Amino acid sequence: MSVQHPAPIPAQAGIGLRAHHFREILDAPPPVAWMETHPENYFGEGGAPLRILERIRSRYPLSFHGVGLSLGSTDPIDHAHLHKLKGLIDRFEPALVSEHLSWSSVGGRFFNDLLPLPYTTESLDHLCARIDEVQTILKRPLLIENITRYLTWQDSPIPEGSFMAEAVKRTGCGILLDLNNVYVNSVNFHLDPFEFLDVIPPEAVQEIHLAGFDHFGRLLIDTHGQPVYPEVWGLYEWAIRHIGPRPTLIEWDTNMPPLAVLVEQATQADAILGGCHAAAL
Amino acid sequence: MPRLCDLQQAFAEAIVEGKYQTATAAMATDRIARRSVALYRGLIRNNFVQVLRITYPALHQLVGDSYFGVLARGYIKKYPSTSGDLFLYGRQLPAWLQCIEAPPLLVELARLEWACHEVYQAADSAPLALEQLQAMVSEDPSRVTIQFHQTTRFLSFSLPVHRVWQALQPDALLDEIVDLPLPEQQTGVVVTRREGRIQVTPLNWLDYRLLEALSQGASVASIERFAREAESGFDFTRLMTTLLNLQVIAGISVKEGI
Repeated sequence: MSVQHPAPIPAQAGIGLRAHHFREILDAPPPVAWMETHPENYFGEGGAPLRILERIRSRYPLSFHGVGLSLGSTDPIDHAHLHKLKGLIDRFEPALVSEHLSWSSVGGRFFNDLLPLPYTTESLDHLCARIDEVQTILKRPLLIENITRYLTWQDSPIPEGSFMAEAVKRTGCGILLDLNNVYVNSVNFHLDPFEFLDVIPPEAVQEIHLAGFDHFGRLLIDTHGQPVYPEVWGLYEWAIRHIGPRPTLIEWDTNMPPLAVLVEQATQADAILGGCHAAAL
Repeated sequence: MPRLCDLQQAFAEAIVEGKYQTATAAMATDRIARRSVALYRGLIRNNFVQVLRITYPALHQLVGDSYFGVLARGYIKKYPSTSGDLFLYGRQLPAWLQCIEAPPLLVELARLEWACHEVYQAADSAPLALEQLQAMVSEDPSRVTIQFHQTTRFLSFSLPVHRVWQALQPDALLDEIVDLPLPEQQTGVVVTRREGRIQVTPLNWLDYRLLEALSQGASVASIERFAREAESGFDFTRLMTTLLNLQVIAGISVKEGI
């Protein structure tokens, strides 16, 4: 493949690359600035997925958004998984690589879901050691993403924003700020989203995620199956004004719409980013 | 306060076994603690069911959403995921279906689909070079063995299950009708990948046995001898043509003479 170095991701909107849209993207590449994908979907040794990713990489800068490292787990890091990720990073040279501030396995059993950590000094020490280990092997900084949670641990004395800020300070990692997750948590647990947003270091935020949620009774569930809600667009406008323009992803994983819907949402994000650029001039 | 590993273990027990007490005791004292664990339980289970649906699309289509869900939930209980890479999840479904004495059609269809799943992302192979092909022809066949692409799987079944698989593909002809139950019939197929697409090719039973033996390291000469013993007047050139047309040969090895 012809890629020689990671193409930087501009502070513009991108979309999630999902198999549902492969054909459409290859036939008529959409006008978006970049694409993000889950690297685990390309862990196979060959076949169509890797060839498709090569074609897409030749046209768009890429971001890798991992879902399988189980960063917060007390099990040892899965080195086979990490080395597959490293191989894929070496091959495709994504501009950004991210994972979640969560755990998903214990005792060798994987739940393949993003489970919340208690925000304690023990968790912080553990997480930072794991981020260090991953960054050392990948030889690059990792972005960590704030997750949606549906429970609160009793003993979790450190506010989430402070927990992430401290992880950034100790490890040099960056932040992937998921504003849909901030909003969903704020509604489900009656929190002020700005208490989180005010505490995270703005310079560490290198990417933003926007997505939609679904209602489950009075609870909001982060399904990535709806357009971005007006309240989340509101948080986004605030974030762009206070943090500055950042690469922004429209994330959609269930109830997949036509590609044009994702592109339209990306255009909406670009308009907000453009407004911020214009205001700065 | 429970240590982090104890807390994760307690949460796992709640998810897997429905033992909520320790996990919910570690949660904030609100009324939704138990509901939270139940919610995670449901989300995690649905996620695995969805993974199995994607891996076994024909089986899902054949039995319908409701029964597939029953099968999937039974499997998920018995076989937890052991990797952050979900592509690997579901490998034991055919064996588990056999274990619960599911109808043979379901077992065999699952076996075929797992092979297709593996082949879909197996390592790419370069096409056979002309020189290698010429060498194969010119060598003493008793010394020649053939290596097959990693995108090749030979599978045998007690039913012509490939017909059901074929009829359930998105590009199947609308007038493709398969009468069930399938007749009991020894069936051999080869699963291959061409230009990224999975192909399932049925072989006649003798061809299947010969090619499978070749794939397991038998020499070309031993295959030819076996073919002629099994069927007088066997057309070995036709078999080799079939093999070449399948485009599954990765290379040849020539044993050194003694």
